[in-house]
Parts: sequence; structure tokens; C-alpha cells
Amino acid sequence: MHEAIARLRAEGLARIDQAATNEALEAVRLALLGRKGELTRLLRGLVDLEPAQRPAVGAALNELKLEFGAALGRRQSELAEHHTAAAVCDLTLPGLPPVVLGTAHPLPSVLEEICDIFYGMGYDRDEGPEVELEYYNFTALNFPPDHPARDLQDTFFLGTDILLRTQTSPVQVRTMERRSPPLAYVFPGRVYRNENADASHSSEFFQIEGLRVDRDISLVDLRETVAAFVGSFFGGERPTRFRPHYFPFTEPSVEVDMQCMKCGGRGCGICGQSGWLEIMGAGMVHPNVFKAVGYPDDAYTGFAFGMGIDRLAMLKYGIDDIRLFYENDLRFLRQFRGVL
Amino acid sequence: MKISLQWLRELVAWEDSPADLAARLTAAGLNVEGLSEFALTWPGVKVARVLECNRHPNADKLTLCKVDDGSGKTYQIVCGAPNVRAGLHVLLATVGAELPGGVRIEAANIRGIESRGMICSGAELGLSDDEAGIMELADAPAAGTPADELFGCRDTVLDIEVTPNRPDWLSHLGVAREVAALYGTKLQPPRVLKPTPGGTLGWKVEVEDFHDCPRYIAHGADNVAVGPSPAWLQNRLRAIGQRPINNVVDITNFVLFELGQPLHAFDRDLLGGDVITVRRAGRKQTVTMLDDVSRQIVADDLIIADGDGPVALAGVMGLASSQVTAGTTRLLLESAFFCPSLIRQSSRRLGLVSESSYRFEREADWSMVRFAAHRALYLLQELAGATIIGDAIDRADPDRQVPPDLALRVHQVNRILGTDLSLEQTADVLRALGLKVQPLSSQIEAKTVNLMVQVPTFRRDLKLEVDLIEEIARLHGYDRGTRGCGSPALTCRRRQRRDEVNRLLRIWLPALGYHEIVSSSFSGRHQLAALQLTAGDLRSECLQVLNPHHGRETLLRTSLVPGFVDAARRNLHAGAQRPVRLFQLGRVFWPAGRKTAGTRHAQEHLLPEEPRLLQIGIAGGEGAGYGGIPLELLELKGLATELAALLGIPLSLRPAGREPFLADGLQWEILDSSGEICGSLGRLKPETAAALDVDANIALLELRLDRLDCTRPAIHYEQFSRFPAAKRDLSLLVPSGVTFQQVEETIRGAVGNGLAHLELFDIYTGTGLPAGTCAYGIRLKFRSQHGSLTGTIVDETIQRILRDLASALQVYPRA
Ligand SMILES: [Zn+2]
Repeated sequence: MHEAIARLRAEGLARIDQAATNEALEAVRLALLGRKGELTRLLRGLVDLEPAQRPAVGAALNELKLEFGAALGRRQSELAEHHTAAAVCDLTLPGLPPVVLGTAHPLPSVLEEICDIFYGMGYDRDEGPEVELEYYNFTALNFPPDHPARDLQDTFFLGTDILLRTQTSPVQVRTMERRSPPLAYVFPGRVYRNENADASHSSEFFQIEGLRVDRDISLVDLRETVAAFVGSFFGGERPTRFRPHYFPFTEPSVEVDMQCMKCGGRGCGICGQSGWLEIMGAGMVHPNVFKAVGYPDDAYTGFAFGMGIDRLAMLKYGIDDIRLFYENDLRFLRQFRGVL
Repeated sequence: MKISLQWLRELVAWEDSPADLAARLTAAGLNVEGLSEFALTWPGVKVARVLECNRHPNADKLTLCKVDDGSGKTYQIVCGAPNVRAGLHVLLATVGAELPGGVRIEAANIRGIESRGMICSGAELGLSDDEAGIMELADAPAAGTPADELFGCRDTVLDIEVTPNRPDWLSHLGVAREVAALYGTKLQPPRVLKPTPGGTLGWKVEVEDFHDCPRYIAHGADNVAVGPSPAWLQNRLRAIGQRPINNVVDITNFVLFELGQPLHAFDRDLLGGDVITVRRAGRKQTVTMLDDVSRQIVADDLIIADGDGPVALAGVMGLASSQVTAGTTRLLLESAFFCPSLIRQSSRRLGLVSESSYRFEREADWSMVRFAAHRALYLLQELAGATIIGDAIDRADPDRQVPPDLALRVHQVNRILGTDLSLEQTADVLRALGLKVQPLSSQIEAKTVNLMVQVPTFRRDLKLEVDLIEEIARLHGYDRGTRGCGSPALTCRRRQRRDEVNRLLRIWLPALGYHEIVSSSFSGRHQLAALQLTAGDLRSECLQVLNPHHGRETLLRTSLVPGFVDAARRNLHAGAQRPVRLFQLGRVFWPAGRKTAGTRHAQEHLLPEEPRLLQIGIAGGEGAGYGGIPLELLELKGLATELAALLGIPLSLRPAGREPFLADGLQWEILDSSGEICGSLGRLKPETAAALDVDANIALLELRLDRLDCTRPAIHYEQFSRFPAAKRDLSLLVPSGVTFQQVEETIRGAVGNGLAHLELFDIYTGTGLPAGTCAYGIRLKFRSQHGSLTGTIVDETIQRILRDLASALQVYPRA
């Protein structure tokens, strides 16, 4: 039996080496390992052997099978190498996919992008709690008690004195309580409003707050900072305008509009025909806020601004429904592949 | 707030197109959100005189009328109204006319008689609700006069967003003041009637607490003829979206929208006793209000009461019992100043926001209380034929403080606005707003007060110097400043490590095929229950929203698991390619968690712990894996090792069974370098998945990022060996009960330093092995810092390994 195996080995290896084409090699493979091949025949013959002999012979045959396999593979690649020049490959066949790329979610991506812009301008970053004291969310921010100003933001209450923060502004107060000017900070994070969801409203969304306080910060500094940010985030020279508005914690307060990126100011559906898009609220820090954090009267001035990250992301990517951000549908998320 | 430009023109003059006016108002802070045309017009409808009426020969209820439309011809009209009669002046819709609602008038044959037009009722023209009969025109207007001339109106209406600090803009007069300041024109105050002394009202007013109601004015009017308002007044109200009711009610509404002061008219004959009391309700009671809705008044509500009980919920709405009706002849007219927060509390509790409460909770204008009453008296006299009683009541808080004048430092104006305004420029801007300005020092320096500014009662938002500075910015322009803080750019900053770690994860995980999700902070009770958390678990206690908008129970999440499952389910249902790989970085809220210590505010302990978690998961995996461990768990386990390398921290995994929602025997604890548990890894229990409504395998890795010290130790370069490695494969028979970890540790112990690599490349559990064993194929690479390893040295090492394996674990090489 061992002789037969040895003979088959020598013969088989020689035939493999002599095969000159892929077709010939395939014929050799079938002759050796195919259903009616010689090795297969020997394997089937195992049952006729003495039981004691079977393991040894079986092992030897299996080893030979592996050896033939390896030799066939080797010869095949040799042939392929010889052949490359002449071979007709279908070069349009799809490649083997690597790991299919995942995506970073566009909201945190836009958040990080905004932070990067402000790091470049010398801002630090901090975060505060999402479950917040009524004191930090309203009182310290100069919202008078029991005043309609509190209706500007429909609030989720969790207890008498605790709530889900309606804005990132409380982090201003927490930061100023801990640190003295000069200060330059951005505070990104999730905020909550007790309202029904529709295409432009979500009961949870993301905001980023900016704060700069020093001895003589003026409205001009705010304007320059806004212009630098808008140019960097939306690209190019984009006119902005300040419209007077009301926020209890800034005075003067403004809303900042940017010339509509779609129509260039002529008016279109995106900007409601006005030519302008509202992008943030801002203003000079109210003296009552400085008082609440214990800064001495008149010692400092500063500005603060707040932007909706969801809104900026919607403008940037032409997304028309805020709810898409929170559905986590891969058909949506995949469109942001490669975005960081 | 809707502003009719026709109305505004009666109060102030300006030369500009509506669009340009809107733009200037917006730039001044009255954000114009809409500009629309309002028109009441009836082409083809004109006055006609009914010459004769005869009964229709074929119908009892129809009348055959001959009418004159002023053209010299007469027409035959069939009319069904019961009140038609010869001599009436009526409105005739001629053939071709179009009525509101798109009805087109054509010549018609009605029961055999031709009719060339239609005589209109008020309802058909949209002028009143009266559809019982045709309109009978008073004062015999000439036949042929177009209806438009009598009743028509064209107007432009602005819709202005008014911020809560500017209640003065909730009126045409307030907006007119702004227009006057913007265009440099003068305000034309409306006409009023100051009653001359005489007559007796016969009523007293008692104010229980001037804190609740600092001022209450009551006037009387007799001989009132309640009826429809004149067309001009009706059209004013219609233009701003209000429905005319009758002249008395319309007049109080008109004054509210003109001057911003809410008024209330009672039918004096329906009031009991002779004393009006302004007081707290004292007890709960159910009342019917003007809108015919029953509501409950509570003890703390401020009410107006007569001798019998409440007649109005102060500042919010009157009660039906004393309302003005068609038969009313004697009025009691109320004009008051109520405590804003009281009105707000009542209005919020009842969910009832009226035009009146909306203004009172923003604070009324002290001076307007009387002026508005006089305005209403004038209109009542002119439009309702009322006789005004001279005897009036004006109860005002004798201790009321006049707000002090405000000191303004021009230096501070320039400091905040970055401007270089002079004293004169500053004063001019303030004067244009109608503020009285008294110059003091002309020295412009840090602490010098330059102007004292007297604040009129209609500007209750001006409380501090900075409020005046905003007014200056608003009128002078926000782009006029030139000076910044002068300090050079701030020093450049870079990301803190915490944010750097987020960034790394958000690059690395997508590269491995994971999609980032952002899931809701809210959760439902059943989702929390699905996790089967034990009572002592920090995550079993959660915060609950007290006032969810949709009324459904809303909890704050204590775990990211339900949010992950939601996203997984959505995508699996949508047919996403399996498996779905997702990750999220998010906070959860643990009220029972560790409290922040040493913080500034005494209530800080009320806040929950908000740990930041990283969760990575695979849903819908079907792969078999090896060693009985599903493929997706093996992937996550491999990921955990790499994650440790990415973050630069040692993490280790320990087989455990602690998480109640992860399958027993298929979960690990993740430990940090000090052996603290900082995360978990495992497969979601099928029953948990089912309870969360997903039918798929889900593997989850969760890590508490906030607990990890991710400060990466400084990297110091170490010399590496350039000598080639020697490779050896071992095939080992491992009895069950011996873990791979034991085998690995034994091998490493036997080798010492020179082991460069150890890899399990095969596990064989098939036939041909002794019972109770499996075969491991392990590849080892040895490398030395000092030179190439000789075969002898490697062979000796292998012998040592095999000896140790045999003695310690009864693991032997496979023959
Ligand atoms: Zn546009």
C-alpha cells in the first residue's frame, strides 16, 4: 500500500509540473483528486484494509492530498504569471470590498467642526449638565421670576427646582462662577424644549454657546467674531446683519442673519423670500448676569452667542427635516461617509 | 401682533412703501414676519331702491320686486327675504357680480319669473352673521353707489413678532411711536373725551390690596344704543383678524389694539349691589365666562366682584352673567392695572390666554389706564350715542413709586458699542424715542454721568443704563462701531484630551464599519423594565418629566441600550445589510448616582449623575464564530483590545455574569488598570431583545468614558530588535476545563521576555481526538534583542513550554 502511495506521489507531482496550460492542469487535477481520480480511489479503498492499518494509511493519503493541493496551487500561479501578458481578464469585475465604511453622525460632526473653528480663535471648550437647576437655566440668566420671558422656551420640568436645560447658556454662568476673565469659551451640548416635533422642531436638539469676557469687549468684537465664524463655516464672504432682539441675559441683544446661501439675497423658498437666514442669537452680557456670578460692577464687558447646531447642519447639507437626525436611518447616515 | 397700515396712518405719518417700512421696522427690532394685503370688496354690488313689491305668482314665500339701481333703468328681482318692502335701500348684486365664497350672480328664471340679480343679506356679503333677511341701509344712500364705497376697505397688514420685553409694541400707538422715531415725524394722538364733572355713577370701588391691583378706574355711560359698529371700525378689526360683535364690544377691542390697554364693559343693570370689589376669589368656584365655557376659579385668583360674587376673572376674561347684550343701555367701563404675575398665574393655570391677559402679564402702562378709558368714552359717545357720566372712580395705590430717572455715561455707551458717540449724538437718539433727557457733565470719562434720562410709563423695559445703551444701538445702528477690545488675538488653543478621545473614536469606528447614532435622551417605562435591572442598580431609578407635552409618561434614560435597539430595529426592518454595526457617545441620567461635590449652588445635590458612555454594538449577526462564541461577540472582544490601544489605557476583560440584560455565559466585565469595572461586553438576552421588540442577535460593548483616565502617558521611543524572528507552531491537546488564558499565561511564563507574538490560529474539536479534549494550533514567534536565535535555543524553549504545559495543565502536544 505504501508503495502505491509513493508511486502515485512521484507520478502525480511530475504530471502537475508538466501541465502547460490551465486546461491541462485542470485535467491533471481531475485525474488525481476528482471523483474518479486515483487518490480518491485509494481513499475509497481504505475500507478494505485491516482496521489496524487504516489510520496510518488514511493519514498518509490525507497528507498526500494536501501536498497535491499545494502543488496544484503553485503550478496554477506559475501558469498565471507566464500568462499575464496574454490573459484576457474582465477588469470590470467588482473588487473585493474592504470593511464597508461606517459614518460619523452629522450633528456631532458639525459640532466638532464649529469647536475647531473656535479653537483656532483661541477659545476653550467646556460642558455642563443637561439636567439643570432652575437657578442656572433662568434666574442667574436674568429671567425675571414668573415672567413671560420664560415662555420663550417651553420647559420640561423634572421637579420644583430642576429641569432639562432649554439652552446651553447656563454653562456660561457655571464657568464664570469658577473663573475670572479674560475668558473665551464655547459650550456645546444637547438642550430640550417641551414642544411638539415637526420638520423644523425637535424636543431635543444641540446648541453651541460662545462667551468672551474681558475688560473692554465691545459689540465690534462680537461682529468680527461672527464674521470670522460665518466665513469659516459657510465659506467665502457672506454678508451678515444684526437685528435687535430680546434675550434676558444679553443687552443689547441681537439676532444674526446671514445672506441666504441659496439665492444670494434675492429671496427664495429657503429664506422665506427675505434673502436672509437667521443663524444665531447674540448680545453683550447683561450686567445682571455678571452680578449673579459675583463679578464686580462695571469691571468687565463681554459678549455671548448661541447657535442651533441642528439648524446649521440643515443649512449646510440642505436637510429639510430635523427629525432625520434622530431617526438614525443608515440611508440617511451613509450620505455623510467621509465627513468628520 | 397684526398692524393695519391704514390704522397706523391715523396715528403717525411716514413716506415709504410698505415693504421698506417693514424692512426698517425689522432693522429696529420689530421683526416683521409677514406683510399681506387685506381687501373687502364686492365688484358689481351697489345700492338699489325697492320701488314696489308684489307676491310671486307661483310661490308663497317669494316676492317680486321692482328696483332702481340708479342707472335710470328698473330691474325685476325675485327675493325670498321676509323683510323686503317698497321704499327700502338695499344692496343689489347685479348680474356678473361675485360674492364672498365665489358665488357668481347670473340672470335666473325662478319659478317662471326672470330675476336679474340678487338683493343681499349681511351674511351673503360677509359683513355680518345676519342671514335672516336682507340688509336695510340707513340714511338712504343714493341708488347706484357701489357697496365698496359704503363698506369696502383696502389695507396692508404687517405681522410683527413682539418680544416679551416690549409690551408697548402690542398696540398701533406703540408701533406708531417707533415709526415716528424712525422717520422723524410726529405722533398724532387719537381723540379722547375727558368727562366733565356732573351726574352720579352710584357705585363704589374697593381694592382689597393695591399690590394685586395698583390702579382701577371705573366710568359710567348711560343711554347706550347697542348695535352694529360703523363700517370703518368693523373693517379695522377685520383687517387685523378680529370679528366685529357690536359697537360696545368693538370699541373696547378697538382701544385694546389701538392703545394696548385692555378694557372691560359691564352691563350695569346686571351687576348686583353698588360696590365693585377687586379681591382674591377666596374659594374655589365654577363660573361661565364670556366665551360660554365653564371654568374653575381658585382661591388665589384675582377677581372683580359685585355684591353677589365674581363678575370677571381680573385681566383675563369677564363672566357671561354681566356681559353687554343687545338690550344693554347702562355701562360700567373698567380700565385697570393688575399685578402681572397674578394675571399670568391665572391665565397659565386655565390655559386661557386672552388678548387682555397677554398684555396685563407683560405689565400695563400706568398712564394709559386713564387715557384709554377716555378714548373709549369718546368712541361710546360718538358711535353708541352714550351719555357719559362725569362722576368717575380712579383708585390708585398711594404708595406707588415712580421709577427713578436713569443715569447714562457716554463713556460706557462707547465702551459697549465700540463707538465714539458724543454727548449730543447720544442725547439726540434718546430724544427721538420720546425720552426726556437732561444733560449733566460734558466730560466723557469712565465714571462720569453725562445724562439723566426720564423714562416714560410706556417704556417699562428701560430699567438700567444698559437698556438705554441698547436703545442707542438699535437706532444708531449695530454696524457703526469701530473699536474692538484692542487686545490681540487670543492664544491658540487645542482640544482637551476628553474631546480628543471622542474625535479618535469618531474616526476609528466608522473606519471599521460602524455608524454613529444619536439617540433620544427620553425613554419609556417599558424600555427600562425590559432591562430587568435589580433594585440596587443605579440605573433602576430614573427622573421623570412632570409636564410632557404629549401627556405620555416620559422618563430620562438611564441606559443607552433601548436607544441602540431602536436604531437597530429601524435599520433591520428597512432591510439594511446585516450585520448592522452602530456606536454612540451619549449621556445617561442617574438620580441615584454620585453627586457632584463642592459645587457652588446649595441645590446641586438635586442633580443626577450624568455619566458619558461609549456604546458599540452589532445587530443581526449570524456568524458562528468559534469556541461556542458568536462571531459578532468575537469581533467586539477583539475591538475592545484595540480600543485600549487606541485610548492608550490598559483595559482587560473578565468573564462574568453581572448585567441582567446580557446573556449568561456570554458576557464579560471590562476592567480598567486598577481593576475597577468600567464597562461590559456581551450578547443581549433573547428575552430582553423580545421585550424591546427586536428579533435579532445583538452584541453590545459599553464603556464609561467619564470614569477612564484617558490621559495618554507620554510616548517614549524604545529600541526594537532588528533580528529575524524564529517561528514555531504548536498543536496542543487541551482538556476541557483548561482555558485559553491559562495556556497563554503558562506559555508566556515559560518563555519570559523573548516571545514576540502568540496567536491562536486554529481550534479543532472534530473527530480523532481523545474524549474531552480539543486541539489548539498556536503560532509562536521568538525574537531577541541581541542576535539571531539559533535553532537549539528555540528548541530548548519549546521543550520548556511543553514541560510547563504538561505539568501545570495536563496539556500535551498532539501526536
Ligand atoms: Zn434665499
